[in-house]
Amino acid sequence: MGAESILLRFTEGEGAVDLETYRQAGGYEAARRALTTLAPDSVIDIVEQSGLRGKGGAGFPTGRKWKFIPKGAPVKYVVVNGDEAEPCTFKDHLLLERAPHLLVEGIVIASYAVGAQRAYVYVRREGYLARERLEAAVAAAEQAGFLGDRIFGTDFSLRVVVHTGAGAYIAGEESALLESLEGRRAMPRARPPFPAIAGLYGKPTVINNVETLCHVPAVIHLGPEAYSALGPPALFSVSGHVRRPGIYELPLGTRMRALIETAGGLRPGRRFKAAFPGGSSSAILTDAHLDVPMDYEPLKQAGSMLGSASLIVMDDSTCMVRTVARAVAFYKEESCGKCTPCREGTYWLSQVFKRILGGQGRLEDLELLAHISRGMKGGTCFCLLGDSVPPALEASLKHFRHEYEHHIRTGRCDVEEGVGVAVGVA
Amino acid sequence: MGQRAPADPPTVTITIDGRPVTVPQGTTVWHAAQSIGIDIPIFCYHDRMPPLGACRQCLVRVEKQPRFQTSCTLVAEPGMVVSATTPDVREAQEMILEYLLINHPLDCPICDKGGECPLQDQAYLYGPGRSRFIERKRDFAKPVSLGPLLVLDRERCVLCWRCVRFGEIVAGDHALKGFERGPESEINTPFTQPVESKFIGNTISICPVGALTSRTYRFVSRPWDNAAVPSICNHCGLGCAIWLDVRDETIARVRPREHRAVNDVWLCDLGQFGHEWVGSRDRLTHPLIRREGALVESSWAEALDLIAAALETSRRLGPGRVGVLGGARLSNEDAYLVRRFFREVVGTPHLDHRTDARPGSPSLEIPWGMRAPLEAIASSSLLLLVGCDVAEEYPIAWLWMKRAVDRGAQLCAITPTHLDIEPHLFATLVVAPGAEGAVLAQVAAAVEGRQLDEALLQSAGVEPATVRPLAERMRTATRPMLFLGRGALERAAGVGLLASALRLQAAGCIVHVMRGKGNAVGAALMGLLPGPSGWTAPEILRQGAAGELDVLYVAGADPATEVPDASAWSAARQSTAFVVVQECFLTETARDADVVLPALAYAEKDGTVCNLEGRVQRIQAAVRASGEARSEGQVMADLARRLGVEWSAGSWEEIFQDAAAEIPGLAEGAVLSPPPLAGSWSADGGLPARPGDLVLLTGERLFDRGSMTGRSPAIAELAGAPSVWLHPGEAAARGVGEGSLAEVRSAHGRLVLRVRLTDRVPRGVASVPRSDDAVPVIRLLNWEAPLLAVTLHPLHPATEGPEEAAAASPRAGENGT
Amino acid sequence: MALAAEAQERIRALVDRYEHRQSALLPALFVAQEAVGFLPPETLAEVASLLELPPSEVISVASFYRLFFLEPVGRHLILLCTNLACHLNGAEAIGRRLEERLGIGPGQTTPDGAFTLRESECLAACALAPMMMVDRERFGPLTAAGVDEILDRHRGR
Repeated sequence: MGAESILLRFTEGEGAVDLETYRQAGGYEAARRALTTLAPDSVIDIVEQSGLRGKGGAGFPTGRKWKFIPKGAPVKYVVVNGDEAEPCTFKDHLLLERAPHLLVEGIVIASYAVGAQRAYVYVRREGYLARERLEAAVAAAEQAGFLGDRIFGTDFSLRVVVHTGAGAYIAGEESALLESLEGRRAMPRARPPFPAIAGLYGKPTVINNVETLCHVPAVIHLGPEAYSALGPPALFSVSGHVRRPGIYELPLGTRMRALIETAGGLRPGRRFKAAFPGGSSSAILTDAHLDVPMDYEPLKQAGSMLGSASLIVMDDSTCMVRTVARAVAFYKEESCGKCTPCREGTYWLSQVFKRILGGQGRLEDLELLAHISRGMKGGTCFCLLGDSVPPALEASLKHFRHEYEHHIRTGRCDVEEGVGVAVGVA
Repeated sequence: MGQRAPADPPTVTITIDGRPVTVPQGTTVWHAAQSIGIDIPIFCYHDRMPPLGACRQCLVRVEKQPRFQTSCTLVAEPGMVVSATTPDVREAQEMILEYLLINHPLDCPICDKGGECPLQDQAYLYGPGRSRFIERKRDFAKPVSLGPLLVLDRERCVLCWRCVRFGEIVAGDHALKGFERGPESEINTPFTQPVESKFIGNTISICPVGALTSRTYRFVSRPWDNAAVPSICNHCGLGCAIWLDVRDETIARVRPREHRAVNDVWLCDLGQFGHEWVGSRDRLTHPLIRREGALVESSWAEALDLIAAALETSRRLGPGRVGVLGGARLSNEDAYLVRRFFREVVGTPHLDHRTDARPGSPSLEIPWGMRAPLEAIASSSLLLLVGCDVAEEYPIAWLWMKRAVDRGAQLCAITPTHLDIEPHLFATLVVAPGAEGAVLAQVAAAVEGRQLDEALLQSAGVEPATVRPLAERMRTATRPMLFLGRGALERAAGVGLLASALRLQAAGCIVHVMRGKGNAVGAALMGLLPGPSGWTAPEILRQGAAGELDVLYVAGADPATEVPDASAWSAARQSTAFVVVQECFLTETARDADVVLPALAYAEKDGTVCNLEGRVQRIQAAVRASGEARSEGQVMADLARRLGVEWSAGSWEEIFQDAAAEIPGLAEGAVLSPPPLAGSWSADGGLPARPGDLVLLTGERLFDRGSMTGRSPAIAELAGAPSVWLHPGEAAARGVGEGSLAEVRSAHGRLVLRVRLTDRVPRGVASVPRSDDAVPVIRLLNWEAPLLAVTLHPLHPATEGPEEAAAASPRAGENGT
Repeated sequence: MALAAEAQERIRALVDRYEHRQSALLPALFVAQEAVGFLPPETLAEVASLLELPPSEVISVASFYRLFFLEPVGRHLILLCTNLACHLNGAEAIGRRLEERLGIGPGQTTPDGAFTLRESECLAACALAPMMMVDRERFGPLTAAGVDEILDRHRGR
């Protein structure tokens, strides 16, 4: 990624796994500066001015989130969301495995800023290597005095506890994550109260994504303007039908076409068909949107969203009905079951898809799919998991209705039969 | 939510469907809508639990908010503009119903919930006319039985989580839980085991569909065929308000009736399912008299003549040769007439309802009952149980304590065994059997700032370090409360227990005497207590044994299974010429009587009863009397006439008026709390000597097989076989295991019991709760020595099969003295 | 199956790691699962008692998460990702190959107890699509021949 990279420079090659390598790359200097020269409020101001937004999917401004934490509360927590399980999002894993100290440093700065003396990192269970390396990094940082009592000789002390999930996508939803961390079924909590007021163990809690906190040292190191001038930078997870799927650090606003090209372009002889720009919960875009800037606002205007910045590319070998059915199956599998529309809606949709793909579809099923989908939108569901289902489904009904109709009429797939309508070229 | 604070609370005004509504701050939009008659459908919300927002049925739209909101969780904010019935909202609500119905079976015609089913009603009012769901519905094995009370049908479940949250929030027993997740979610017990709860009937009441139904009410009736009669539960003594749902002169079921100050909207399972005895075939229907050694049916006239003659004969021999025992199963009016008849017409002062007290028991020294209303428990910050297994003995009081605990109160216990509510306890002081009184004396000393007797505490099994913080909290607590339980009062403690309680009362503690079942407090109020120079129940029995009684009259009591010494009862019986028993069943006592009169059950008569708070509440005749059964009061009037005193045949109201003229404050709905503890008792703070290496503990359990509960099949099944509870280590050392048969022998008798293992019972203790009238633990007891050693030996299963044990009874020659 | 003293000790130590006892539940269940191989009812009850939690709560929680096994599993757990990136890159064919070679379907365990095969949601290794995890190790991009070799390597272990 070269000199401009602020995150991936730590992950190149073997990464900066051990403390020494990380320190040689300037590690923990931002934390030292923050703790020894800046007041907590100044740290929050700097982060706010930098324009850093949450990288977990919702994109909430990080500095503002930190400001919600009540100043006087005696006990507060920083909780790091490393449950990365959003389909085709894999940046946090890379950071945890290759640059664990970068996260630890981000945690130190964030905890100092909000006044937390304890931080919990929730890593998904399947991230065995990530957890191992993070735990080693925490131990090494404690040894070196970057964690523990009186960090850098200041009055600030911090303990970091690494915790793992047990196989539940919904644990990535911040209030469900707190439930899971408290040893319960990962079912989302009602808000209000918001975690900033009553989070972990009922105490004020700031919950940040792994990547978000990994940006923080650079924000402190570069200053808000220089950081922001870099784009600001973001990690994109690019997967699907590209030649070099992987994690790419590029400025926000990079065009979708450029991102695809950075990831090696399409496979030889294949044409671009569609893409999820922000993970499986974002509305599918077509070739008409190839030049959309990969940023919050432009994607929203295009009817989709940036989400976790996970671009899933589909070429002309893709059956959209099967793909959307697979996405729906994911939400059905991961619905926690707490609220009616998500639990029953995902079940019902899956049944209808199963029927259509099994050759038992009816044309009125397209109206039915839209009907079920509409019932899951706009706050009918308890949390955003249910809301994640309709965008891709509805976009596919809009842009690829003919594929559904072909399945229903013939009981077969037009793409596999090669009769599909060619759409666009990348 | 939505509760009004006493002093002029701040309000907010919002608009719902164009109509302004002003509500107290903190009110939810759902309640605000309700208050102006706008009905928003709900499933998961239940007003006794915090809102959850899970079912999504109560969606509304709020101006300037892009997303639907659940009105049950949404707190009204000034100026909010809410749409609750606009087409978009109706569409969303309809869609939620459609989702709920896709997996709901269409078996309403055979569903017990039919006719009182919120899902049925909401589907009718708000549902789509047709379903577009043509797929396969989710299927589960149905229905599954979760023990003797509960039937689970997972297909009907709409996953509102009410029952799960009831177990977490209200009862604290975590009986039902959600398992799996997403569309596979199901409510169940772990591995579909029988449910473990004392309150599971409430989940049936609050289930908004037919997923949880009652095994005893299954296919019995439709709600519209039941007549609901308000009544009061007769079991534990807390007097919970109930509905008797009656069909064809039979109690089809019992449901909780809302009474905010007593049981709120809840009921324990004994109250809800322990009613089948009323319609039992075993009920006595005619008087019985003893003829040539056997009890034979007779007319009322003949039986009454016999009794009157016996009383007349005794009267001629001199005053005070008649004893009266019992009263807890009588109504106030009956108890009042029993007292008047025996005191005024027969002229005996020897009346006592406290048949299960031992001589010298501190419980004979003080009025029983609570010295503050039940609801005051919820606002106390420190509750100390002393020998009081509250969840087993007074389950609804535990629910009040749970509320207090949830508000931050500390619940502590001085107890010889671990309690099953222990996870909710702040401190559990497990003491050596019989040491409750001595340890309480130390607590009192610590509260007064005095030195602790550390050596005594240690030999009682208590770390002195645990007593000091408890005392410290008692000193600073708001409305601290002490609950003296049956275990402390009847086990080994002397009056020193009362001396300690008095000291704590002086330090600001409210002292509750948690003693007495059914209408015990009413019986005491109406005077079924020793009159001037009258004898207490143990004294009556002793005098009877000494030949000082001509007639022993027993009403609504079963001393043969209740007196804590089987030989004391049989000695009194043997030496008393004439014994009369009025009862619903041919109890152990009745079997040996000279005349047996059939009594009315509580559900067969009008009148009033008093609960442990002294709250006067009304009961009503809901079903026809069993055969020729009569009330005790009627019998008293009949006997009075025969003894030459004419009482007007009064209605219950007239009798109540007469009683009210004598008893200050007696009025329906009044709460006649006993006065604060008063007396002077010597402080004997010493520890009772341990009588042997295995000490017998007795006590009450909610589910047993008494004369009524044994004839309520669901309760009898829950009670299980008569058992001895042992610590697993103790059992292993004695060569017995879970379920094996053991002979438990004391110096006074032996029983064959089923061994049950539990680590709630400490080593060195054999706990034999009162369980089955046919295998009464009192056969092991001697009331002169309340703390007894027993021996325990395994019985070879080859020689004594399980059937024998279950049937083992003194009559079968198996369990004898 | 009673937990060995060592596992019990580890579970007790976990309680100290957190400010609230129940937070230790997920890690404690993993300790128990590693010790026993899966989580039979008596092990779940033992964890409940070690953590002083209601057994019903412990079982309810265990049943929620996909990586707690309430039924026995094979010595090796294969998680085949079938989510979007892997789906687009031929996970279905890999799945067929696995099923053929193992002679079992998803959710099943081979009769010799060597492998349990499960389809999985995204394992956050999309650059390896199509991929799978065997125990703690990731494999991808998978080919049919690659699958055979991986199975052979694990079978004896």
